[in-house]
Amino acid sequence: MSRWLPFEWIVALRFLREGWMQTIFILAGVTIGVGVIVFMSALLTGLQGNFLRRVLNAQAQIVLQPPDEVARPLRGGPGIVEDAVIQRPTQRLRSVDQWQAVQMQMAATPGVITTSPVAAGAALALRGEASRSITLTGVEPESYFRIVKLPESIVAGQPRLLNDEIIIGTDLATELGVSLGDKLRVTAGTGRNAVLTISGLFDLGNRQVNERNTYVALRTAQSLLNLIGGVTSLQLGVRDVYAAETMAQAIQGATGVRADSWIRTNMEFFTAVNAQRTANTVIRLSVGLSVALGIASVLVVSVVQRSREIGILRAMGGTRGQILRVFLIQGGVLGLLGSLSGSALGFAALVLWHRWARQANGSELFPLVIQPELFLAAMGVAALTGVLAAVAPALRAARLDPVVAIRG
Amino acid sequence: MADTTPPAEVLRLEGIRKSFNPGTPLEVEVLHGIDLVLRRGEFCALIGPSGSGKSTLLNLIGLLDRPTAGRLIIEGHDTRALDDAALTHLRGHSIGFVFQYHHLIGAFTAAENVMMPLLLDHGRADDRMRPAAEALLERVGLLPWKDNRVGNLSGGQQQRVAIARALAMNPGLVLADEPTGNLDTKSADGVFALMREVNLAHGTAFLIVTHDPRLARRCDRIIEVVDGRIVADNAVAPAMAGTE
Repeated sequence: MSRWLPFEWIVALRFLREGWMQTIFILAGVTIGVGVIVFMSALLTGLQGNFLRRVLNAQAQIVLQPPDEVARPLRGGPGIVEDAVIQRPTQRLRSVDQWQAVQMQMAATPGVITTSPVAAGAALALRGEASRSITLTGVEPESYFRIVKLPESIVAGQPRLLNDEIIIGTDLATELGVSLGDKLRVTAGTGRNAVLTISGLFDLGNRQVNERNTYVALRTAQSLLNLIGGVTSLQLGVRDVYAAETMAQAIQGATGVRADSWIRTNMEFFTAVNAQRTANTVIRLSVGLSVALGIASVLVVSVVQRSREIGILRAMGGTRGQILRVFLIQGGVLGLLGSLSGSALGFAALVLWHRWARQANGSELFPLVIQPELFLAAMGVAALTGVLAAVAPALRAARLDPVVAIRG
Repeated sequence: MADTTPPAEVLRLEGIRKSFNPGTPLEVEVLHGIDLVLRRGEFCALIGPSGSGKSTLLNLIGLLDRPTAGRLIIEGHDTRALDDAALTHLRGHSIGFVFQYHHLIGAFTAAENVMMPLLLDHGRADDRMRPAAEALLERVGLLPWKDNRVGNLSGGQQQRVAIARALAMNPGLVLADEPTGNLDTKSADGVFALMREVNLAHGTAFLIVTHDPRLARRCDRIIEVVDGRIVADNAVAPAMAGTE
């Protein structure tokens, strides 16, 4: 009998040891439950993180564009509108007004870490008789590649953009039958054209993007799109990606340019993430409830089985509080031990799954992110769940009438 | 000159009544005004037919239940005014229990079972508890079995452990409810002799419920309860007491 343990701990641990079969079964139950929670939480966090990383690596967190052109009604005088129907004008390619000033303003804005001007518009890529419509994106590589991690997706060549060079997607290259170093004629909607050399091929993991997106130097795009000195957008990288929408609204209010955050343009993604989170929460709560009910049922049985012993302890001077704590401790210990083994099980499952589950291209499906706080939280919550689950059986034990309990 | 002062009272009952379901149409009074005094060193048998109220009386004296009316005084403490916590404390310090089915805690060894009242009282084990428990086990002749799980002991040995446990807090009164009822004659004699020995050596008062007239006659005093009333309370002739 341990000298440093209080009475309640001595009896609780001995009762658990004595009923080892029940203890093992409920520990197995708690282990599986906690393992599932840990595995699911870590997997979902990893998948979301991976998804988020991909989204954020492929686009700017905030994009500033010129405001839409609107037709102003012709007025005959104060309160008199001459035309009954106002037609929305077509949106021509326009530059952000005073974009250099806006860029300087953005660079000085707290929370903005990178700004990059972009001139983008529609064009045709021609190779022999083959032609494909493309989005021609003119960028300054130094700043743009800090926001959009295109170099990480380069599968051939260099992420280099001289004035006569172009980077295209692997799928566009396949369709046009070109490869690294080949020449490509690009004709913009303005009628201007240029022959560019393919300096790099990228694979962003999306066929449409690989077919459509092309990157050239900013000056090349300005020339082809007839936007000399102008840019169609300013792309911003921000420190707190989740604050992007709030920042975008503030920027729009301050500058008058249209500011779209990645959160708004990926609303569907966020809806999916929220749905996943809700489903995960429901599953976790259900598993947690099952664990709690399992612990409670085992302790209820234990109270019934040990009612005579409880009566004797009460007869020998045991207080209701001491008896209550004996069973609360059993619940907490079951929860804590189960969470330790469950965390180990969840961790092992994560490592195995991470090793086994791969994407089509062989890369990892999700990054293996081991968050100690997840395991600590699982242990804390499981121990608390065990204690809470033990409340009802413990109260029942503490309220046992010793006379009735001893009589059995 | 011999000291004629009577030994101190360990138990006094005055007009004790006990009803079940009081205040309802199902109210049944099972004890109808019990008066009883037990002094230190007394070795009493409580006899009576089944259903006479012996066990109910024992539960009241053991502070496991409360009387409907009357005064119950344990070692000078009037229990009427005591709350549940105080009753538990008084029970733990002043009364030892020996039951028919020993009611030891199977998860613990013989020594640990004897230590249990001390552990309950102190809250945690200390260096003095094990020697104290072993001394008690030695007194009941079970020191070699101190580290055995109680489930591995014979019925007589288990009851001896229960007696040692009852004495752990050095109580003034030990209540024994059919302590030999589940034992063979030889073991019963041994257990009874042990209780008698403790009584004589330490002056611990014993109140023993028994159906065995042979054992009852070996006590100093026989109290007979019939239909919730004490109908006889007689001293046993010294020549009879303690002998078979």
